[in-house]
Amino acid sequence: MGGNPAIKGEISVATETRRRRKPALGAKSWWQLRQDPVLLITLIIISVSLFLFIVYPLYKVFVLSVKPKGLFSLEAYHYIFTQWWLRQSFFNSLLLGSLTATASTVVGFIFAFALNRTDMDGKGFFRQIVQLPLVSPPFMFTLSVILLLGKNGLITKKLLGLANFNIYGLKGLVLVQTVSMFPIAYMTLNGVMQGINPDLEEGALDLGASRFGVFRTITLPLSIPGLASSWLLVFVTSLADFANPMVLGGTFEVLSVQAYLQFTGFFNAPRGTALAITLLIPAMIAFLVQRYWVSKKSYVTVTGKPSGVRTLEVNPRLRRALLAFCSAVTLVILAFYGTVIMGAFVDTWGVNFKPTLKHWIYAWDVGYYSIKSTVLLALIATPITGLLGMVIAFVLVRKDFPGKRLLGLVSMLAFAVPGTVVGIGYILAFNEPPLLLSGTAAIIVLCFVFREVPVGIESGVASLVQIDKSIEEASTNLGASTGYTFGQITLPLIRPAFLAGLFFAFTRSMTAVSAIIFLVTARWHHLTVLTLSQTEIMRLGAASVLSLILIVIVLFAFAIMRVVVGDTVKHQLRG
Amino acid sequence: MRNTVILVAAIVLLASLVVSAQETIAVYTTLFEPTARLLFDAFEEDTGIKVEWVRLSGGEAVARLDAERRNPQVSIWFGGVGLDHMTAKNMGLTEAYVSPNAENIPVQFRDPEHYWIGIYVGALGFISNQNRLAELGIDPPTSWYDLIQPELKGEIQIANPGSSGTSYNFIATLVQLWGEEDAFEYLKEFHKNVQQYTRSGNAPNPAAGLGECAVGIGYAHDQVTVIQEGYPVNITFAEEGTGYEVASISLVKGGKQMEAAKKLYDWGLTERAAILLASTNVVPLIDVPLMEGAVPISSINVIDQDDLWAASQKERLVEKWNNEVYRQR
Repeated sequence: MGGNPAIKGEISVATETRRRRKPALGAKSWWQLRQDPVLLITLIIISVSLFLFIVYPLYKVFVLSVKPKGLFSLEAYHYIFTQWWLRQSFFNSLLLGSLTATASTVVGFIFAFALNRTDMDGKGFFRQIVQLPLVSPPFMFTLSVILLLGKNGLITKKLLGLANFNIYGLKGLVLVQTVSMFPIAYMTLNGVMQGINPDLEEGALDLGASRFGVFRTITLPLSIPGLASSWLLVFVTSLADFANPMVLGGTFEVLSVQAYLQFTGFFNAPRGTALAITLLIPAMIAFLVQRYWVSKKSYVTVTGKPSGVRTLEVNPRLRRALLAFCSAVTLVILAFYGTVIMGAFVDTWGVNFKPTLKHWIYAWDVGYYSIKSTVLLALIATPITGLLGMVIAFVLVRKDFPGKRLLGLVSMLAFAVPGTVVGIGYILAFNEPPLLLSGTAAIIVLCFVFREVPVGIESGVASLVQIDKSIEEASTNLGASTGYTFGQITLPLIRPAFLAGLFFAFTRSMTAVSAIIFLVTARWHHLTVLTLSQTEIMRLGAASVLSLILIVIVLFAFAIMRVVVGDTVKHQLRG
Repeated sequence: MRNTVILVAAIVLLASLVVSAQETIAVYTTLFEPTARLLFDAFEEDTGIKVEWVRLSGGEAVARLDAERRNPQVSIWFGGVGLDHMTAKNMGLTEAYVSPNAENIPVQFRDPEHYWIGIYVGALGFISNQNRLAELGIDPPTSWYDLIQPELKGEIQIANPGSSGTSYNFIATLVQLWGEEDAFEYLKEFHKNVQQYTRSGNAPNPAAGLGECAVGIGYAHDQVTVIQEGYPVNITFAEEGTGYEVASISLVKGGKQMEAAKKLYDWGLTERAAILLASTNVVPLIDVPLMEGAVPISSINVIDQDDLWAASQKERLVEKWNNEVYRQR
C-alpha cells in the first residue's frame, strides 16, 4: 500500500514541531506481521467483524439491487437515473449535506475555540448545553420546531405575527440539522483543540504575534484534521438523516426518504437499494478526499514534553462576540427543549396549557418496558463501540499493513447508508442459519456498534495524528507489548476522542429509529419506536414525556462516563 | 479487544438463552399502539397465550415480511389497510385460511380466496381546524370541489401517495368516481392548494389539529382521536362519495406458530374483539355499539370501491401522479 504519505507531502504547517518519522518498515507484509502477534490477531478480528457485520449485509442488499428477480439486471439503476424526481432528490441531498456540514463545522469550531482557548464567561454552562442537541429524540425535535416556527407557530405567528412563514423545505432542514448535528463537529474539534499544545500559541504570543495571527497561523491550521473530520461526519450524517426531512422536508425531497418510500410505499426493494447505493458515492468521495488531504500534512504537537493546559486571554471585544454567539445558539437550543418540557406538563399541546401530570402516568405505564430494554441495549453497545473505534483508529494511524486504506473505507460504510437499508440488510443477512440472529438483542446491538463506530474512529484518528509516535515508541522500546502500549499510553492520551466516541455511541443507540424499526421485537423494543407511535396518535404529551426521560437518561450516562473515563488530557501531559 | 469479543459472544449466548415458559405468539400489527395493547391483553386474558407484538406501519410490515420471507419471524399480521394485505398476498407472503368465524364478517370485506379478512372500516374524511377556517372565512368542506377553492391555497395537507395507502386511496377514489382523465385534471388543481405531502397517512390530522394547515385529509377514525384529545376541529365528508379502508388480518406464510396464530385470527373476528375495537373509535365490521363521534360507514356516501383493481394500478397511477401532478411546482 505504499509508504506513509506524510513523508512525501510537503510540510507546510508553520508550527509543526518535528517531522514525522519515517516508519521503520515501509509496507509490512502479512508475513512481517507475524512478529507482532497481538497486532495480527487484532487485525484479523477487526477485518472479520467488519466483513461480517458491514460488508456482508450490504452485499446482500446490493445483490438485491442488481438481481431483482434472480437474474442480473441494471433496471433499478436505469430507473432511478431516468426519473426526474429521483435525480432531483440526489442533488437535493448533496446540497443539504454540504450546507449543513459547513454550517455545523463553523458553529462547532466557534464553540470548541471559545470553550478551550479563551477565558470567556460561563464555559461550564455552555459545555453542558452544547451536548443537549445530541440527545434530541427524533420526531420530537422536529415537532417542537413546527410548534415554534411553523405556520401556526408560537414564535412565527403569535409572537412575530408572520401570517405565512414557511419553515418546510431547505432552510428549515438546514436549521434543524445544524442545531442537532453541530455537536458532532464540536465533539470532534473539542478533542483536537485539547490536543493542541498551548506552548505553541504562548510562544508565538511571546514572540510578538498578534492574537489573530496566532489563531490564523497556529490554531486554525492545527485544527484542520478536526475540521475535515467534522465536515465529513456531519455531511454523511445529513445524507443518511431520515427523520428530519421526512417531517420537515415539504416539497424538498431527499434521497434517504425516497429510498424508504421505495421500500415501504412501492415494495420495490431493488430500487430502494439502488438509491441507497447511489447515496454512498458522494459519501465515499468526501471520505477519500478528506483522508488524502489530511494525511498529506503532519499535525503533531503533543510530544510528551511537559506542558500545561492554560487558557489564553483574548481581547474583550472578541470575548463579547463569542459570548453573544454562544448565547444565541444556546437560546435556540433551549427554546426547542423548553417546548418539549412544556409539552410534558400541559394538558393538550398547543391548545390547552393547563398543567397536568397525566402524561407521566400514561407514559410510564406504556413505556416502562421499552425504557428498560432501550437502556440495556445501549449500555451493551456503547463500550464495544467506543473501544472498537479507538482500536481501529489506532491501527489506521499507527500501523502499516496491507489493505489499510480498504479497512478505513469499509469502517465508514454502515454510517453512510440510510438506516432503512442497513436494517433490511441485517434481516437479509442474519435471518438464516448459521448466522441466525434476527429476533435477538444481538442483532440490534451489532447494528448499533457497526453503524456508530465511525464517529469514534474519526475522532480517534483526528486526535492520534496530533500525538507524536515517539511516546508510544518509547514504551515499545522499553519492552511493552502493542496491547499494553495501547491500553496504557495511547488510550489515555486520546481520552477526549474516546469519550466523544462513547457519548455518540450511547446517544445514537438511544435515539436510533430508521435502522432498528426493522429489527425490534416485542422482547427487545426501543423507546424511539414507541415515541414515534405516540406522536402518530397525537399523544404529544406522552411523546414529550418519553423524550424527556430519554434525555435525562442520556445526560446521566454522560456524567457517569465523564467520571469513569476522565474529561481532559491534563494530568497526562503534566508529566 | 479480546474483552470485546468475549462480551459480544456472551451477549449472543445470553440473548439466545432467553426462554419463556408461557405459550407465546409473535405478531406484527399495524393497529395503533393503545388499540393493539387493549386487544392483545384481552386475548391473553381469554386464551392464556401471550402476544409479543411489534407495531409497524403497513408499508413497513410488508417490507419486513418480504425481507424475512425465507425465515418468517411472525405468523400473523394484524391490522393495516386491505390494499397492503392484497399486496402481501400478491407477493406470496401470506397464507389462505378459512376461519370458523369468517361468517361474522360481511362477504364484501373478505378475500374470495381467504387470504385476508377485514375487521373494521374507516372512511376518508376532511378534518378542518375551526380557528383557521374562521380566519379564512369559509365553511368546512363537504365536496371534493370545496378543496380546490382559491381560499385554501397552501392550506391543505395530505400524505404522499408513494408512501401512504391513505393518500393512494384518495387518488384511487377520484379515478373510480370520475375516470382517470378528469381525476388527474382535478389533482393538478388540488395540488396548488397543498402545503405539504406528508409521509404518514395520519400526519395531516394532527397538523390540522394544531392549525398548521386548515384542512387535512385522512381516515375518520384517526380524526376522531384528534377531537378527543381536545383540538378544535370538525370532521366532514365528500358528498359525491368517498373512499374507505378495510383494516385486515392475514396469516404469514411459513410462520412457526400457526396454531396460536389461527386462534388469534379467529378471536379477532368475534364480537368481543369488535367491542374492544369500537372503544377506540373505529367502526368494526361486526355490528356493535359505537363510540360517540365515530361515524358508521352506513351514514356516509361511500363509493363502490374495487380494491383489487386499485392494488393492480398502484404503481402506474402513483408514477403518473409523480410525473404529471407532483412535478409542477
